[in-house]
Amino acid sequence: MTQLFTRRDFLKITGATATAVAAGGLLPASVAKAARDAGLIDPNGDGYIPSLCEMCVWRCGLLAKVRNGRVVKLEGNPDNPHSTGKLCARGQSGLMNTYDPDRVLYPLIRVGPRGGGQFRRATWEEALDLVAQNMLAIKEKHGAEAMIFSSTHNLSQVQFENLLNGYGSPNYGTQRSLCFNAMVVAFSLTYGVEEPSRDYTNVKYVILVGRNLMEAISTSETRQLTAAVARGAKLIVLDPRFTKTAAKATEWIPIRPGTDAAFLLAMINVIATEKLGDCDFVSRYVNGCQELPQVMAEYTPEWAESKCGVPADTIRRIAREFAADRPDAMIHPGWRTSNFINSFQTERAIATLNAVVGNVLTSNGCLVALNPEASGVKLGKPPQPAYPRVTALRLDGVPWKYPLVPLKLGIFQNIRDAILTGQPYQARSWFIARQNPMLSLPDRRKTAEAFGKLDFIVDVDIIMNDTAWYADVVLPEASYLERYDPLNVVDHKLFLRQPVIEAQGEARSALWIYKQLGERLGLGEFFQYEDEEDYLRQQLAPLGAELQDVKYKGYLEVPVEEGDGEIVFGTPSGKIEVYSETLAGAGFSPWPTWEEPPAPAPDEFYLLTGKVGQHTQTATQNNAFLHQVEDEPKLWIHPAAASARGIEDGASVRVTSPIGSVVVTSLVTEGIRQDCLFLAPGYGHASKGLRVAYGVGVSDSDLHVTYTDPISGGQALSQTFVTVERA
Amino acid sequence: MSHAEFIPLAERKRLRVTEIKKHNLANILTHWFNVAMWALLLPTGLAILASPRLGIVPELWQTLMRNVFGGTANLIEFHYSVGLVWMAVLTFNILLGFRKYFIPFTRERMFLDADDIEWLKVKPLQMIGLAKAKRLPPQDVYNAGQKLYMYMVIVGTLTIGPTGLIMTFHKLIPWPWLIQWSLPIHFSAVGMVVAGLIIHVYMGAVFPEEKEAFFSMFTGKVSAWYARRHHAKWYWRKMEEEMDWEDRVLAEGRALKADESAAD
Amino acid sequence: MAQKNRYGFVIDVARCIDCRACLVACRVENEVSLPHTRIWVKDQGLRGTFPDLAREFVPYNCMHCEHPPCIEVCTSGATFKDPDNGLVLVDQEACIGCGLCVEACPYDARYLDPTRGVVDKCTGCVHRVERGEEPACVATCLGGARMFGDFNAPTSEVSQALARATQVRQLVTDEVDPDPNIYYLNGDVMQTGLLPRLPRYTTAETLWRGVAIPAVIAGITLSFLGQAVAFTKQLIEGEQEFEE
Repeated sequence: MTQLFTRRDFLKITGATATAVAAGGLLPASVAKAARDAGLIDPNGDGYIPSLCEMCVWRCGLLAKVRNGRVVKLEGNPDNPHSTGKLCARGQSGLMNTYDPDRVLYPLIRVGPRGGGQFRRATWEEALDLVAQNMLAIKEKHGAEAMIFSSTHNLSQVQFENLLNGYGSPNYGTQRSLCFNAMVVAFSLTYGVEEPSRDYTNVKYVILVGRNLMEAISTSETRQLTAAVARGAKLIVLDPRFTKTAAKATEWIPIRPGTDAAFLLAMINVIATEKLGDCDFVSRYVNGCQELPQVMAEYTPEWAESKCGVPADTIRRIAREFAADRPDAMIHPGWRTSNFINSFQTERAIATLNAVVGNVLTSNGCLVALNPEASGVKLGKPPQPAYPRVTALRLDGVPWKYPLVPLKLGIFQNIRDAILTGQPYQARSWFIARQNPMLSLPDRRKTAEAFGKLDFIVDVDIIMNDTAWYADVVLPEASYLERYDPLNVVDHKLFLRQPVIEAQGEARSALWIYKQLGERLGLGEFFQYEDEEDYLRQQLAPLGAELQDVKYKGYLEVPVEEGDGEIVFGTPSGKIEVYSETLAGAGFSPWPTWEEPPAPAPDEFYLLTGKVGQHTQTATQNNAFLHQVEDEPKLWIHPAAASARGIEDGASVRVTSPIGSVVVTSLVTEGIRQDCLFLAPGYGHASKGLRVAYGVGVSDSDLHVTYTDPISGGQALSQTFVTVERA
Repeated sequence: MSHAEFIPLAERKRLRVTEIKKHNLANILTHWFNVAMWALLLPTGLAILASPRLGIVPELWQTLMRNVFGGTANLIEFHYSVGLVWMAVLTFNILLGFRKYFIPFTRERMFLDADDIEWLKVKPLQMIGLAKAKRLPPQDVYNAGQKLYMYMVIVGTLTIGPTGLIMTFHKLIPWPWLIQWSLPIHFSAVGMVVAGLIIHVYMGAVFPEEKEAFFSMFTGKVSAWYARRHHAKWYWRKMEEEMDWEDRVLAEGRALKADESAAD
Repeated sequence: MAQKNRYGFVIDVARCIDCRACLVACRVENEVSLPHTRIWVKDQGLRGTFPDLAREFVPYNCMHCEHPPCIEVCTSGATFKDPDNGLVLVDQEACIGCGLCVEACPYDARYLDPTRGVVDKCTGCVHRVERGEEPACVATCLGGARMFGDFNAPTSEVSQALARATQVRQLVTDEVDPDPNIYYLNGDVMQTGLLPRLPRYTTAETLWRGVAIPAVIAGITLSFLGQAVAFTKQLIEGEQEFEE
């Protein structure tokens, strides 16, 4: 077999991959020609091309500075509402994501044992034929449902879904249950939208429950919050750890993990009892608020203090301050809410609190409960037949075990577990795109075991990350700077991702890959577009816009549909449902309610997870520019807990959970509760094909026990308790 | 007169019009080559030194030179280019003429003896009007002062050259301290040579007694009178060589004549 | 000569969230070789004890001082204060890599770049400023902590920020005050670790100044005097046509 990775100096910006670009030959390359036609680059090959970042899901608009067929700088596109002209550290490092010497640029087929990292280069023909062959064989022998499809949501998702729906498998996994199921399900049930958007223009009082916006950076929102604080808005942060957001807060509340709901329910109690809410708003738009004082009666601040450790007076004061600033007061809905099984109730309480102070409106409140996707923009799409009917049960238990989890969200970790149990049937194969379940799912050992049971694994990715390392076939997607993707809706603008340089090697866009595969699977009718540009033209057709114009500007403005003034929420009753009949019908509490979370034993700790501002989950640790600016990943431990175990700052420690243990460097810090430890996720890569990331840090997927919330299907990542000792 | 011996008039007149070769072509070319190089290197090198903390060179000169060459980078490039040429030509010439010119030169002109030391004590005093009664010991082809300056130039060149190379090729040198030390060493060596140069130029070009020496730097020759007065040891050695030569010619002639009469 | 403009930075410390976008932007914009960096975000660490904690992040780079110690010591004059904009720049073609300026900078803002063989540092993205753009770090600053502009223009962002500010600091001490052009607002920045150190001068440079230069001057003066006396004597005595 060929040795795949030749020695390359990854410290130079202009890596050996430059030769692949230069080797494009003397004729003008297609991207350069297109960009020149669009007037974006001059005859020298220099200019700015607008596109979209993909270093995280915020997808900031960017302007790529191109010189001689290479991208030399990325700037935020001022016309994009998500970037507002800025890019975070990850966005700025995007060059290195594209020019990373560890990119997979050619289709790879495994030789040697799975997980050995030995591959041979194959042509697209061979690789796609092999994949299709296997997929058809599995469908034939075991039924389409034996094939699992999973992808972290991204712009080409619509075609990914097309593939799996056309193929006929119900088993669709996304990252959502590892992230925000609790929030989405709670707000869907309460407001009728998955996620209300936030408007900081006039806000005076912001409560963040977790939502470490200064490190879990969403460029525009992080900026808006910073600006709000700078002009005097009060920021209250509930977090067991002193994050960078807490460092910017007016008040940091080091709340006991798992007890946010107690704090929030007590706030509702105070506001309802003392009648501090917006009675007018409530009476018009909120369902169930009359009963609130009785329902919340038991959740007094004194009761809450016994649960969460925050003094009752503090809770009372904050409730009053919050209500006093209405309607310019908001509790952030949160985002990654996969903390405890009771996180769903936390989210319900947040939704309720925002409702009772009347800041939830469809236009000028702090929270906007209009579904951003239902902005009235109707995009075109290629014609296609109806999907085949699927009768098999979903492996993840939705909806037959989890009646309230939307199909679109699913429960990702259950799919992995179903492979192991073989219940309700045995899955045989897994098609993964733009996702790293090997590292992102809790309990890595189990994931590896599950992989071991499968006949065939296909991975679409740009780099040899852990999942690709374990795959049978790796299909190289072009990086975000090298490809087209379907249009992205932000506010009333349609943003375009277009290639700013020629794709290196033989990397291709997902749109192309799915179509090629689809055709080989006999599903050509579901992919009725010639190429990426044709697909985009079909999307633009109903709007009467020219792709050329959109390419030049980077986006298209679409007229905003004026509402008729009537405010109706997307719930069964048309009102905000603090009392939810749907929940009652499924056998759950119709009110936001307290569910006692588990607590660690005296010698155990909560193991907290969170984000760092310089990385995106498990995707960016190999980026040399980000590696340069990251903090060495260490385990945070309070000095009292450390000294009780003879642990000095910087000492090696062993962290042990019910399912595994890791050895990691410690960081003794006052910035965390005594009963908590913190480990930044995303490190501990096992793939030797990631020459920067390999060997750096450890992964919490070696520690996390899999817990699933029966209502929302969300993971409970903070419910794993651990012990720690000197290593 | 400090040079001692009495020479009768007729002899003096004869000596004045007789010429002896003091400098060969190698000497002459090397000397003027150095002059030219230094004429370019010294003003430009000084002009480079812009640090206000050092404050050695007037700003006017720094600015003038930068204007002439179009910026600091060009000025530096000129200076080290000339420096490289200087080093290269010297090295090449020494290697090329090692056997024929260099070795004889060192043998004849470089070593100090007791007379030289004595001369070094007396001459400077006499230059400023003291020690008039003292006798100057006889000197060889270069007087002690000239030998001393030669040492300064050689040591100077061997110091200035390598330090100059270090600074020229600074991009290849991974140790900043080497460059940091090269600077004052380069400067000190230049300073030493310049201090000597002031005396050298005065003695060679201004001081009336050395007028012939100055012209000999062009023609290569001095009068026998000058040689006997100022470089007595060398003069008498040359006379001996000439007498040896005469003896050889005469012997040759006698031998020829003997052959002729034998042939009769 | 008065400068036309005086460009510099104003940093609102309260707004820096340590996202480090500026660090990456600078590296990409200026092709700064790993592992060096031209700019920093300095983290003074956690202050206080649980739960009364505070932490500040302080963006930091070359101060583009009004009286820079680096220019004082630069051997070739390669580093200079641009007369048009006041930024302290390095003509890398004229730099001889002696590194004296690196030692002299009280803020340790300069470094010797081994790949280029010369000194490198923050240029205030002068190439962008000339195009009317902000430096890369400022342009991408998420929190709006970094501001850049002309202090000589009253309407510039930096002038206005200074005018509005209640607490303004420069990183200077009693011993070291090169009048830096970075002003810090809303931060507790007068801390060791942020404050400048005394400029350092290498032994070589000290010996150069203290020994070599005086020695050379003395030598040359002596030479010159000696020669002057002899020349005067010569003029007084006059020349002899025929030598004795």
